[in-house]
Amino acid sequence: MSHVKEYMVRTMNSVTPDDSIRKAIILMYRSEQSVLPVVDHQNLFVGTIYSNNILKNIIPESFGFLDSSRLFYEVNEAVENLKYVKDEKVEKYMARNRDAVKENSDMKKIADIMLNNKESHLFVINDKGFLRGFIERSNLLHYLLDEAEDKRND
Amino acid sequence: MITTVTLNPAIDREYFVEKNEVMKNQFIYDHEDLKVYPGGKGLISAINFKALGYNDVQNIGFVGGKQGLFFEKMVQKYDIISNYIYTESEIRNNVKIIGREPATYTQYNDYTFKVKKEEVEELIVRFKRSISESECILMSGSVPEGVDFNIYQRLIKIAKNKGKHVFLQASGEALKLALKSEPEVVTPYFKHHKTILDLEMNDKEDYIKAGKKMQEMGAKRVMIPFHCDRLLFDKDGSVYQLSPKGYCIINWLGAGDAYNTGYLDYAFQTDNFDFLEANRRGGAAALWIAENKEIYLDDRKNYDCCLDRLEIKKLEG
Repeated sequence: MSHVKEYMVRTMNSVTPDDSIRKAIILMYRSEQSVLPVVDHQNLFVGTIYSNNILKNIIPESFGFLDSSRLFYEVNEAVENLKYVKDEKVEKYMARNRDAVKENSDMKKIADIMLNNKESHLFVINDKGFLRGFIERSNLLHYLLDEAEDKRND
Repeated sequence: MITTVTLNPAIDREYFVEKNEVMKNQFIYDHEDLKVYPGGKGLISAINFKALGYNDVQNIGFVGGKQGLFFEKMVQKYDIISNYIYTESEIRNNVKIIGREPATYTQYNDYTFKVKKEEVEELIVRFKRSISESECILMSGSVPEGVDFNIYQRLIKIAKNKGKHVFLQASGEALKLALKSEPEVVTPYFKHHKTILDLEMNDKEDYIKAGKKMQEMGAKRVMIPFHCDRLLFDKDGSVYQLSPKGYCIINWLGAGDAYNTGYLDYAFQTDNFDFLEANRRGGAAALWIAENKEIYLDDRKNYDCCLDRLEIKKLEG
């Protein structure tokens, strides 16, 4: 049986609910991650902040359905909106889901969660709920490839 | 969880050539002749701890730019938990060119990395929440430009307020200021000048004086590198000298970090801590690295065999 800890990425890259959206955005582009875990002041996982959630709150029309003639107007409005939103707290825009997985979880379970919930990115915690890192679809594919090649070798 | 702190990490690149000559193009075709690895004192100890079987080991510090992300990937390869503040400035690259015939060693040390005040404050915030699972914190290495020399003093104060033990390896002004926060164990290192607390280090008496001064200023226990030996200052005022016997040094890189790892590994494993035994374990780990080409430890059994070649004699107390 393969475990999450064999395929996960170990990182404490995170924000807290009282961090600003500006800080979350800077962390997202510097770390090249569009989803960040939200932890409390003890590093316990409490939720997730998605770049999509921030975008949806600053672009008035539904994100992804902009026609080109309106794009310029929408982008300008988004910049104006961000001037206010950037100083707001992560708490307001985070998802308080607890869909984190444990380090010792079976990789087969991850495949289920990712495919059924359409999650591309899951945060990994230890048994006490402390953040340990994340696992994403490329890690899942890595596992599946290992399985496929192991079976072929058998 | 074990926490190590590396404020000024670097990507270390080693190039091995037959003969290092100025104005001559060199061509490297063999992977053995080109090594790229993540460097930084606290980080090397973190990799050692992982190799010794510790489950959760994190490295806290700064990394910057695209090369910082590459550095982080290298760290994660060792299953270390990366915990970095991403800076705007690119991380350092140190280049070492090693000639075989004649044996030469040319090093280009990169000191271009700069950290902004905002990034320092972010590190402080991250550090506070990231040490909640750790009993002991190892802080080691230099301080990058833009970071005030009181950084270790601040970090130690936070750790001590949360009831954590601190092992500090530092130099210069950062060391001097850090002593005010009373770290449990301090080991200075020499960077550009052979001075400790602004005192010139020439003979053994100078080292002993510096060790005692560090204790007066707040350190509980001190270990000072003295040529190939270590001078040990226990908290009861006793001074010892640890000396390796019958050794052949071929590599310094990683030896100091192995010492710190061996010392702390003993401290983590025992319920009956003995300062001299901790130093024997540290000395054995350092001796094993120094006599091998390796930078990192891989098993306690490897350096156990070096224990018999370490002597400790009491100098004072």
